[in-house]
Amino acid sequence: MHTILTNFATAEATGHAAEEASGNVLDSLGIDPKLFVFQLIAFLLLLWLLNKYVFPVLMKAVDERQKTIDESLQAAHDAEKQAAEAEAKIEAMLKKARGEAADIVTTAKDEAGALVTKAEERSKAQAQRIVDDAQSTIAKEVIAARKALHNETIELVAQATEKVVGKTLDGKIDNKLIEASLNHSGDKA
Amino acid sequence: MNHFFAMQSVHISLPTETIFHIGPLPVTNTMLLGGLGVAILLALFFHTVRQVKRGTRTRVSSLVQWAFEGMYGAVYDIVPDRKMARSIAPLALTIFFTVLITYWMGIVPGVGPVHWGEGPLLRGLPTDLNFTLALAVISMVAVQYYAIKVHGLFGNMGRYLINPIKNPIGAFEGFLELIGELSRLIALCLRLFGNAFAGEVLLVIVAAMSSYFASVTLPFFFAFELFIGFIQAYVFYVLTLIFASLATASHGGGHSSAHDTAQHKEVPAST
Repeated sequence: MHTILTNFATAEATGHAAEEASGNVLDSLGIDPKLFVFQLIAFLLLLWLLNKYVFPVLMKAVDERQKTIDESLQAAHDAEKQAAEAEAKIEAMLKKARGEAADIVTTAKDEAGALVTKAEERSKAQAQRIVDDAQSTIAKEVIAARKALHNETIELVAQATEKVVGKTLDGKIDNKLIEASLNHSGDKA
Repeated sequence: MNHFFAMQSVHISLPTETIFHIGPLPVTNTMLLGGLGVAILLALFFHTVRQVKRGTRTRVSSLVQWAFEGMYGAVYDIVPDRKMARSIAPLALTIFFTVLITYWMGIVPGVGPVHWGEGPLLRGLPTDLNFTLALAVISMVAVQYYAIKVHGLFGNMGRYLINPIKNPIGAFEGFLELIGELSRLIALCLRLFGNAFAGEVLLVIVAAMSSYFASVTLPFFFAFELFIGFIQAYVFYVLTLIFASLATASHGGGHSSAHDTAQHKEVPAST
Protein backbone atom coordinates (compact mmCIF):
# COMPACT_ATOMS: atom_id res chain seq x y z
CA MET A 1 0.00 0.00 0.00
CA HIS A 2 2.86 2.26 0.92
CA THR A 3 4.46 1.50 -2.45
CA ILE A 4 1.25 2.42 -4.28
CA LEU A 5 0.95 5.71 -2.49
CA THR A 6 4.61 6.41 -3.11
CA ASN A 7 4.18 5.59 -6.77
CA PHE A 8 1.07 7.73 -7.01
CA ALA A 9 2.78 10.58 -5.22
CA THR A 10 5.72 10.25 -7.57
CA ALA A 11 3.38 10.49 -10.53
CA GLU A 12 1.75 13.55 -9.00
CA ALA A 13 5.14 15.04 -8.23
CA THR A 14 6.20 14.43 -11.82
CA GLY A 15 3.01 16.16 -12.94
CA HIS A 16 3.68 19.13 -10.69
CA ALA A 17 7.27 19.30 -11.84
CA ALA A 18 6.14 19.34 -15.46
CA GLU A 19 3.64 22.04 -14.60
CA GLU A 20 6.28 24.12 -12.95
CA ALA A 21 8.66 23.53 -15.81
CA SER A 22 6.22 24.55 -18.47
CA GLY A 23 4.32 26.94 -16.34
CA ASN A 24 1.21 25.93 -18.14
CA VAL A 25 -1.79 24.30 -16.44
CA LEU A 26 -3.18 23.08 -19.75
CA ASP A 27 -0.02 21.13 -20.46
CA SER A 28 -0.14 19.45 -17.07
CA LEU A 29 -3.73 18.39 -17.78
CA GLY A 30 -2.68 17.08 -21.14
CA ILE A 31 -4.69 19.60 -23.16
CA ASP A 32 -3.01 20.09 -26.51
CA PRO A 33 -4.62 22.53 -29.00
CA LYS A 34 -3.68 20.29 -31.92
CA LEU A 35 -5.19 17.21 -30.27
CA PHE A 36 -8.24 19.20 -29.20
CA VAL A 37 -8.88 20.39 -32.76
CA PHE A 38 -8.26 16.86 -34.04
CA GLN A 39 -10.79 15.40 -31.58
CA LEU A 40 -13.27 18.14 -32.51
CA ILE A 41 -12.96 17.45 -36.22
CA ALA A 42 -12.97 13.66 -35.70
CA PHE A 43 -16.17 13.80 -33.67
CA LEU A 44 -17.87 16.14 -36.15
CA LEU A 45 -16.84 13.77 -38.94
CA LEU A 46 -18.29 10.84 -37.03
CA LEU A 47 -21.48 12.83 -36.42
CA TRP A 48 -21.78 13.68 -40.11
CA LEU A 49 -21.14 10.07 -41.12
CA LEU A 50 -23.71 8.65 -38.74
CA ASN A 51 -26.22 11.39 -39.49
CA LYS A 52 -25.93 10.80 -43.22
CA TYR A 53 -25.73 7.03 -43.52
CA VAL A 54 -26.85 5.42 -40.27
CA PHE A 55 -29.36 7.42 -38.28
CA PRO A 56 -31.86 8.12 -41.08
CA VAL A 57 -32.21 4.40 -41.79
CA LEU A 58 -32.50 3.44 -38.13
CA MET A 59 -34.84 6.34 -37.34
CA LYS A 60 -37.02 5.42 -40.29
CA ALA A 61 -37.11 1.81 -39.07
CA VAL A 62 -38.05 2.98 -35.57
CA ASP A 63 -40.71 5.35 -36.94
CA GLU A 64 -42.15 2.62 -39.16
CA ARG A 65 -42.18 0.19 -36.29
CA GLN A 66 -43.85 2.79 -34.12
CA LYS A 67 -46.35 3.43 -36.88
CA THR A 68 -47.03 -0.30 -37.18
CA ILE A 69 -47.46 -0.56 -33.42
CA ASP A 70 -49.82 2.43 -33.44
CA GLU A 71 -51.81 0.94 -36.32
CA SER A 72 -51.93 -2.43 -34.60
CA LEU A 73 -53.09 -0.78 -31.41
CA GLN A 74 -55.73 1.14 -33.34
CA ALA A 75 -56.80 -2.06 -35.12
CA ALA A 76 -56.94 -3.88 -31.81
CA HIS A 77 -58.96 -1.01 -30.36
CA ASP A 78 -61.33 -1.09 -33.34
CA ALA A 79 -61.63 -4.87 -33.12
CA GLU A 80 -62.35 -4.59 -29.43
CA LYS A 81 -65.00 -1.96 -30.15
CA GLN A 82 -66.52 -4.10 -32.91
CA ALA A 83 -66.47 -7.12 -30.62
CA ALA A 84 -68.23 -5.12 -27.93
CA GLU A 85 -70.81 -3.92 -30.45
CA ALA A 86 -71.30 -7.45 -31.78
CA GLU A 87 -71.64 -8.74 -28.25
CA ALA A 88 -74.23 -6.08 -27.49
CA LYS A 89 -76.04 -6.95 -30.72
CA ILE A 90 -75.92 -10.64 -29.90
CA GLU A 91 -77.15 -9.91 -26.40
CA ALA A 92 -80.06 -7.90 -27.82
CA MET A 93 -80.86 -10.65 -30.30
CA LEU A 94 -80.68 -13.26 -27.57
CA LYS A 95 -82.94 -11.15 -25.41
CA LYS A 96 -85.38 -10.79 -28.28
CA ALA A 97 -85.17 -14.51 -29.08
CA ARG A 98 -85.70 -15.36 -25.43
CA GLY A 99 -88.79 -13.12 -25.40
CA GLU A 100 -90.10 -14.71 -28.57
CA ALA A 101 -89.36 -18.16 -27.24
CA ALA A 102 -91.19 -17.34 -24.04
CA ASP A 103 -94.16 -16.09 -26.08
CA ILE A 104 -94.10 -19.22 -28.23
CA VAL A 105 -93.95 -21.44 -25.17
CA THR A 106 -96.80 -19.55 -23.53
CA THR A 107 -98.88 -19.76 -26.70
CA ALA A 108 -98.05 -23.43 -27.10
CA LYS A 109 -99.00 -24.09 -23.50
CA ASP A 110 -102.30 -22.28 -23.97
CA GLU A 111 -103.02 -24.10 -27.20
CA ALA A 112 -102.04 -27.41 -25.70
CA GLY A 113 -104.26 -26.72 -22.71
CA ALA A 114 -107.14 -25.82 -25.00
CA LEU A 115 -106.56 -28.93 -27.07
CA VAL A 116 -106.47 -31.11 -24.00
CA THR A 117 -109.63 -29.53 -22.64
CA LYS A 118 -111.36 -29.94 -25.97
CA ALA A 119 -110.19 -33.52 -26.26
CA GLU A 120 -111.36 -34.23 -22.74
CA GLU A 121 -114.75 -32.71 -23.51
CA ARG A 122 -115.02 -34.68 -26.70
CA SER A 123 -113.97 -37.84 -24.92
CA LYS A 124 -116.48 -37.23 -22.18
CA ALA A 125 -119.22 -36.59 -24.70
CA GLN A 126 -118.32 -39.67 -26.65
CA ALA A 127 -118.18 -41.74 -23.54
CA GLN A 128 -121.55 -40.39 -22.45
CA ARG A 129 -122.95 -41.15 -25.85
CA ILE A 130 -121.62 -44.67 -25.70
CA VAL A 131 -123.06 -45.11 -22.23
CA ASP A 132 -126.40 -43.72 -23.34
CA ASP A 133 -126.45 -46.00 -26.38
CA ALA A 134 -125.60 -48.95 -24.21
CA GLN A 135 -128.27 -48.09 -21.68
CA SER A 136 -130.79 -47.61 -24.47
CA THR A 137 -129.82 -50.96 -25.97
CA ILE A 138 -130.01 -52.65 -22.60
CA ALA A 139 -133.41 -51.11 -21.90
CA LYS A 140 -134.72 -52.25 -25.24
CA GLU A 141 -133.35 -55.72 -24.69
CA VAL A 142 -134.87 -55.82 -21.21
CA ILE A 143 -138.24 -54.78 -22.60
CA ALA A 144 -137.97 -57.36 -25.36
CA ALA A 145 -136.93 -60.01 -22.88
CA ARG A 146 -139.78 -59.12 -20.61
CA LYS A 147 -142.18 -59.25 -23.47
CA ALA A 148 -140.86 -62.58 -24.59
CA LEU A 149 -141.00 -63.89 -21.05
CA HIS A 150 -144.49 -62.56 -20.73
CA ASN A 151 -145.61 -64.29 -23.85
CA GLU A 152 -143.93 -67.50 -22.92
CA THR A 153 -145.40 -67.37 -19.45
CA ILE A 154 -148.88 -66.81 -20.88
CA GLU A 155 -148.47 -69.69 -23.18
CA LEU A 156 -147.13 -71.88 -20.44
CA VAL A 157 -149.89 -70.96 -18.07
CA ALA A 158 -152.43 -71.53 -20.81
CA GLN A 159 -151.10 -74.92 -21.51
CA ALA A 160 -151.00 -75.80 -17.83
CA THR A 161 -154.48 -74.53 -17.25
CA GLU A 162 -155.71 -76.38 -20.26
CA LYS A 163 -154.41 -79.55 -18.90
CA VAL A 164 -155.89 -78.90 -15.48
CA VAL A 165 -159.27 -77.53 -16.49
CA GLY A 166 -159.66 -79.43 -19.66
CA LYS A 167 -161.66 -78.18 -22.49
CA THR A 168 -164.29 -76.28 -20.56
CA LEU A 169 -163.18 -72.91 -21.50
CA ASP A 170 -162.61 -71.53 -24.92
CA GLY A 171 -159.58 -69.73 -26.05
CA LYS A 172 -160.88 -66.18 -25.37
CA ILE A 173 -161.86 -66.89 -21.83
CA ASP A 174 -158.64 -68.68 -21.37
CA ASN A 175 -156.57 -65.75 -22.32
CA LYS A 176 -158.62 -63.36 -20.20
CA LEU A 177 -158.16 -65.49 -17.17
CA ILE A 178 -154.48 -65.87 -17.67
CA GLU A 179 -153.91 -62.23 -18.15
CA ALA A 180 -156.00 -61.38 -15.11
CA SER A 181 -154.04 -63.83 -13.00
CA LEU A 182 -150.80 -62.63 -14.34
CA ASN A 183 -151.69 -59.04 -13.65
CA HIS A 184 -152.70 -60.07 -10.21
CA SER A 185 -149.47 -61.86 -9.65
CA GLY A 186 -147.61 -58.96 -11.18
CA ASP A 187 -149.26 -56.57 -8.73
CA LYS A 188 -148.30 -58.75 -5.88
CA ALA A 189 -144.80 -59.00 -7.02
CA MET B 1 8.84 -10.06 -4.16
CA ASN B 2 5.47 -10.77 -5.74
CA HIS B 3 4.11 -7.58 -4.32
CA PHE B 4 6.99 -5.65 -5.75
CA PHE B 5 6.47 -7.34 -9.11
CA ALA B 6 2.84 -6.30 -9.12
CA MET B 7 3.78 -2.74 -8.30
CA GLN B 8 5.88 -2.49 -11.44
CA SER B 9 2.69 -2.35 -13.57
CA VAL B 10 1.25 0.68 -11.70
CA HIS B 11 1.45 3.66 -13.98
CA ILE B 12 -0.69 6.74 -13.43
CA SER B 13 -0.44 9.76 -15.66
CA LEU B 14 -2.91 12.56 -16.19
CA PRO B 15 -1.82 13.55 -19.72
CA THR B 16 -1.99 10.97 -22.47
CA GLU B 17 1.18 9.40 -23.85
CA THR B 18 2.28 10.06 -27.41
CA ILE B 19 2.99 6.82 -29.24
CA PHE B 20 4.13 8.24 -32.57
CA HIS B 21 3.65 11.29 -34.80
CA ILE B 22 1.92 11.75 -38.13
CA GLY B 23 3.52 14.91 -39.39
CA PRO B 24 2.96 17.54 -36.73
CA LEU B 25 0.10 15.60 -35.13
CA PRO B 26 1.03 13.48 -32.13
CA VAL B 27 -0.86 10.17 -32.06
CA THR B 28 -1.63 9.28 -28.44
CA ASN B 29 -2.60 6.00 -26.80
CA THR B 30 -6.15 7.33 -26.22
CA MET B 31 -6.49 8.13 -29.93
CA LEU B 32 -5.46 4.58 -30.84
CA LEU B 33 -8.05 2.95 -28.59
CA GLY B 34 -10.61 5.64 -29.40
CA GLY B 35 -10.10 5.01 -33.12
CA LEU B 36 -10.54 1.29 -32.53
CA GLY B 37 -13.70 1.95 -30.54
CA VAL B 38 -15.15 4.24 -33.20
CA ALA B 39 -14.28 1.66 -35.87
CA ILE B 40 -16.18 -0.99 -33.89
CA LEU B 41 -19.08 1.43 -33.42
CA LEU B 42 -19.22 2.16 -37.15
CA ALA B 43 -18.99 -1.55 -37.97
CA LEU B 44 -21.89 -2.29 -35.63
CA PHE B 45 -24.00 0.53 -37.02
CA PHE B 46 -23.33 -0.24 -40.68
CA HIS B 47 -23.99 -3.93 -40.07
CA THR B 48 -27.32 -2.97 -38.48
CA VAL B 49 -28.15 -0.58 -41.33
CA ARG B 50 -27.46 -3.34 -43.86
CA GLN B 51 -29.68 -5.75 -41.96
CA VAL B 52 -32.47 -3.17 -41.69
CA LYS B 53 -32.30 -2.40 -45.41
CA ARG B 54 -32.44 -6.10 -46.23
CA GLY B 55 -35.30 -6.61 -43.84
CA THR B 56 -33.35 -9.28 -41.97
CA ARG B 57 -31.89 -9.27 -38.50
CA THR B 58 -29.10 -10.81 -36.50
CA ARG B 59 -28.57 -10.87 -32.76
CA VAL B 60 -26.06 -8.04 -33.06
CA SER B 61 -28.30 -5.88 -35.24
CA SER B 62 -31.26 -6.57 -32.95
CA LEU B 63 -29.20 -5.49 -29.95
CA VAL B 64 -28.05 -2.30 -31.70
CA GLN B 65 -31.58 -1.56 -32.86
CA TRP B 66 -32.91 -2.16 -29.36
CA ALA B 67 -30.35 0.22 -27.85
CA PHE B 68 -30.89 2.81 -30.58
CA GLU B 69 -34.66 2.64 -30.27
CA GLY B 70 -34.49 3.08 -26.50
CA MET B 71 -32.20 6.10 -26.67
CA TYR B 72 -34.01 7.64 -29.64
CA GLY B 73 -37.33 7.30 -27.84
CA ALA B 74 -35.85 8.91 -24.73
CA VAL B 75 -34.98 12.02 -26.77
CA TYR B 76 -38.69 12.64 -27.32
CA ASP B 77 -39.36 12.08 -23.62
CA ILE B 78 -36.78 14.68 -22.60
CA VAL B 79 -37.36 17.30 -25.31
CA PRO B 80 -41.05 18.22 -25.52
CA ASP B 81 -40.84 19.89 -28.94
CA ARG B 82 -40.87 17.00 -31.44
CA LYS B 83 -39.29 19.01 -34.24
CA MET B 84 -36.48 20.12 -31.98
CA ALA B 85 -36.09 16.58 -30.61
CA ARG B 86 -35.79 15.16 -34.12
CA SER B 87 -33.22 17.84 -34.95
CA ILE B 88 -30.97 17.34 -31.92
CA ALA B 89 -31.32 13.55 -31.69
CA PRO B 90 -28.35 12.75 -34.01
CA LEU B 91 -25.93 14.79 -31.90
CA ALA B 92 -27.18 13.37 -28.60
CA LEU B 93 -27.16 9.80 -29.94
CA THR B 94 -23.67 10.18 -31.39
CA ILE B 95 -22.43 11.50 -28.04
CA PHE B 96 -24.07 8.65 -26.16
CA PHE B 97 -22.81 5.80 -28.32
CA THR B 98 -19.33 7.30 -28.75
CA VAL B 99 -18.83 7.86 -25.02
CA LEU B 100 -20.28 4.44 -24.23
CA ILE B 101 -18.11 2.45 -26.61
CA THR B 102 -14.91 4.39 -25.95
CA TYR B 103 -15.46 4.18 -22.19
CA TRP B 104 -16.05 0.44 -22.37
CA MET B 105 -13.05 -0.02 -24.63
CA GLY B 106 -10.88 1.33 -21.79
CA ILE B 107 -12.12 -1.46 -19.51
CA VAL B 108 -11.26 -4.31 -21.87
CA PRO B 109 -8.75 -6.55 -20.08
CA GLY B 110 -5.26 -6.13 -21.47
CA VAL B 111 -5.66 -2.47 -22.39
CA GLY B 112 -3.67 -1.14 -19.43
CA PRO B 113 -0.84 -3.64 -18.98
CA VAL B 114 0.50 -3.53 -22.57
CA HIS B 115 3.15 -0.81 -22.50
CA TRP B 116 4.87 1.20 -25.19
CA GLY B 117 7.88 2.94 -23.78
CA GLU B 118 6.96 4.50 -20.42
CA GLY B 119 3.19 4.50 -20.76
CA PRO B 120 0.43 2.08 -21.80
CA LEU B 121 -0.03 1.45 -25.51
CA LEU B 122 -3.80 1.79 -25.28
CA ARG B 123 -5.93 3.96 -23.02
CA GLY B 124 -9.62 4.82 -22.83
CA LEU B 125 -10.56 7.87 -24.89
CA PRO B 126 -12.65 9.51 -22.14
CA THR B 127 -9.47 9.73 -20.01
CA ASP B 128 -8.22 12.26 -22.58
CA LEU B 129 -9.27 15.80 -21.63
CA ASN B 130 -8.94 16.89 -25.26
CA PHE B 131 -11.74 14.48 -26.17
CA THR B 132 -14.07 15.36 -23.28
CA LEU B 133 -13.43 19.08 -23.82
CA ALA B 134 -14.16 18.72 -27.55
CA LEU B 135 -17.41 16.90 -26.74
CA ALA B 136 -18.42 19.55 -24.22
CA VAL B 137 -17.61 22.39 -26.62
CA ILE B 138 -19.62 20.74 -29.42
CA SER B 139 -22.49 20.14 -27.03
CA MET B 140 -22.58 23.74 -25.78
CA VAL B 141 -22.11 25.22 -29.25
CA ALA B 142 -25.01 23.09 -30.44
CA VAL B 143 -27.09 24.37 -27.53
CA GLN B 144 -26.31 27.97 -28.52
CA TYR B 145 -27.04 27.15 -32.17
CA TYR B 146 -30.52 25.87 -31.29
CA ALA B 147 -31.13 28.79 -28.94
CA ILE B 148 -30.24 31.28 -31.69
CA LYS B 149 -32.38 29.32 -34.13
CA VAL B 150 -35.37 29.65 -31.83
CA HIS B 151 -34.87 33.07 -30.25
CA GLY B 152 -32.77 34.77 -32.92
CA LEU B 153 -29.26 36.14 -32.39
CA PHE B 154 -30.30 39.18 -30.37
CA GLY B 155 -33.03 37.30 -28.57
CA ASN B 156 -30.50 34.75 -27.42
CA MET B 157 -28.05 37.48 -26.40
CA GLY B 158 -30.88 39.02 -24.44
CA ARG B 159 -30.80 35.99 -22.16
CA TYR B 160 -27.36 37.06 -20.94
CA LEU B 161 -27.02 40.79 -21.64
CA ILE B 162 -29.71 42.81 -19.93
CA ASN B 163 -29.58 46.57 -19.41
CA PRO B 164 -28.51 47.03 -15.74
CA ILE B 165 -30.14 50.49 -15.56
CA LYS B 166 -33.57 49.20 -16.54
CA ASN B 167 -33.37 45.88 -14.73
CA PRO B 168 -30.39 45.53 -12.39
CA ILE B 169 -31.52 42.18 -10.96
CA GLY B 170 -32.17 40.82 -14.46
CA ALA B 171 -28.72 42.01 -15.55
CA PHE B 172 -27.17 40.16 -12.64
CA GLU B 173 -29.18 37.05 -13.51
CA GLY B 174 -28.03 37.34 -17.11
CA PHE B 175 -24.44 37.55 -15.96
CA LEU B 176 -24.96 34.50 -13.76
CA GLU B 177 -26.50 32.69 -16.72
CA LEU B 178 -23.40 33.46 -18.76
CA ILE B 179 -21.22 32.08 -15.98
CA GLY B 180 -23.60 29.15 -15.79
CA GLU B 181 -23.05 28.31 -19.46
CA LEU B 182 -19.30 28.27 -18.89
CA SER B 183 -19.66 26.15 -15.77
CA ARG B 184 -21.88 23.71 -17.65
CA LEU B 185 -19.21 23.33 -20.29
CA ILE B 186 -16.49 22.72 -17.71
CA ALA B 187 -18.74 20.39 -15.70
CA LEU B 188 -19.59 18.33 -18.79
CA CYS B 189 -15.92 18.07 -19.67
CA LEU B 190 -14.55 17.29 -16.21
CA ARG B 191 -17.36 14.96 -15.11
CA LEU B 192 -16.70 12.50 -17.89
CA PHE B 193 -12.94 12.85 -17.66
CA GLY B 194 -12.92 12.54 -13.87
CA ASN B 195 -15.06 9.41 -13.81
CA ALA B 196 -13.13 7.73 -16.60
CA PHE B 197 -9.75 8.61 -15.13
CA ALA B 198 -10.83 7.57 -11.63
CA GLY B 199 -12.12 4.29 -13.04
CA GLU B 200 -8.84 3.66 -14.77
CA VAL B 201 -6.87 4.42 -11.60
CA LEU B 202 -9.25 2.25 -9.57
CA LEU B 203 -8.65 -0.73 -11.86
CA VAL B 204 -4.88 -0.24 -11.74
CA ILE B 205 -4.84 0.08 -7.96
CA VAL B 206 -7.13 -2.93 -7.45
CA ALA B 207 -5.00 -5.00 -9.84
CA ALA B 208 -1.84 -3.98 -8.03
CA MET B 209 -3.24 -4.53 -4.55
CA SER B 210 -4.81 -7.90 -5.26
CA SER B 211 -1.67 -9.08 -7.08
CA TYR B 212 -2.20 -12.74 -8.10
CA PHE B 213 -5.83 -12.58 -6.96
CA ALA B 214 -6.53 -9.88 -9.52
CA SER B 215 -8.40 -12.36 -11.71
CA VAL B 216 -10.87 -12.79 -8.84
CA THR B 217 -11.21 -9.17 -7.74
CA LEU B 218 -11.05 -7.33 -11.05
CA PRO B 219 -14.21 -8.76 -12.69
CA PHE B 220 -16.33 -7.09 -10.00
CA PHE B 221 -14.68 -3.76 -10.72
CA PHE B 222 -14.96 -4.34 -14.48
CA ALA B 223 -18.71 -4.80 -14.04
CA PHE B 224 -18.85 -1.68 -11.89
CA GLU B 225 -16.93 0.30 -14.51
CA LEU B 226 -19.23 -0.98 -17.28
CA PHE B 227 -22.13 0.41 -15.29
CA ILE B 228 -20.33 3.70 -14.64
CA GLY B 229 -19.52 3.93 -18.36
CA PHE B 230 -23.18 3.61 -19.24
CA ILE B 231 -24.14 6.16 -16.58
CA GLN B 232 -21.58 8.67 -17.82
CA ALA B 233 -22.65 8.26 -21.44
CA TYR B 234 -26.29 8.64 -20.43
CA VAL B 235 -25.58 11.69 -18.26
CA PHE B 236 -23.70 13.45 -21.07
CA TYR B 237 -26.51 12.62 -23.49
CA VAL B 238 -29.29 13.71 -21.13
CA LEU B 239 -27.55 16.93 -20.10
CA THR B 240 -26.98 17.89 -23.74
CA LEU B 241 -30.69 17.40 -24.41
CA ILE B 242 -31.76 19.24 -21.27
CA PHE B 243 -29.43 22.19 -21.90
CA ALA B 244 -30.71 22.47 -25.46
CA SER B 245 -34.28 22.17 -24.32
CA LEU B 246 -33.81 24.78 -21.58
CA ALA B 247 -32.10 27.18 -23.95
CA THR B 248 -34.93 26.94 -26.46
CA ALA B 249 -37.82 26.73 -24.03
CA SER B 250 -38.27 30.33 -22.95
CA HIS B 251 -36.29 33.27 -21.65
CA GLY B 252 -37.26 32.45 -18.09
CA GLY B 253 -36.65 28.71 -18.51
CA GLY B 254 -32.91 29.20 -18.79
CA HIS B 255 -32.63 29.95 -15.11
CA SER B 256 -33.86 26.52 -14.10
CA SER B 257 -31.51 23.96 -12.71
CA ALA B 258 -30.13 21.49 -15.19
CA HIS B 259 -31.20 18.65 -12.95
CA ASP B 260 -34.75 19.89 -12.64
CA THR B 261 -35.94 17.72 -15.48
CA ALA B 262 -39.46 17.23 -14.23
CA GLN B 263 -40.00 20.98 -13.94
CA HIS B 264 -38.38 21.48 -17.31
CA LYS B 265 -40.77 19.09 -19.01
CA GLU B 266 -43.68 21.23 -17.95
CA VAL B 267 -42.26 24.29 -19.69
CA PRO B 268 -43.72 24.40 -23.20
CA ALA B 269 -41.16 24.93 -25.93
CA SER B 270 -41.74 28.21 -27.71
CA THR B 271 -41.37 28.09 -31.44
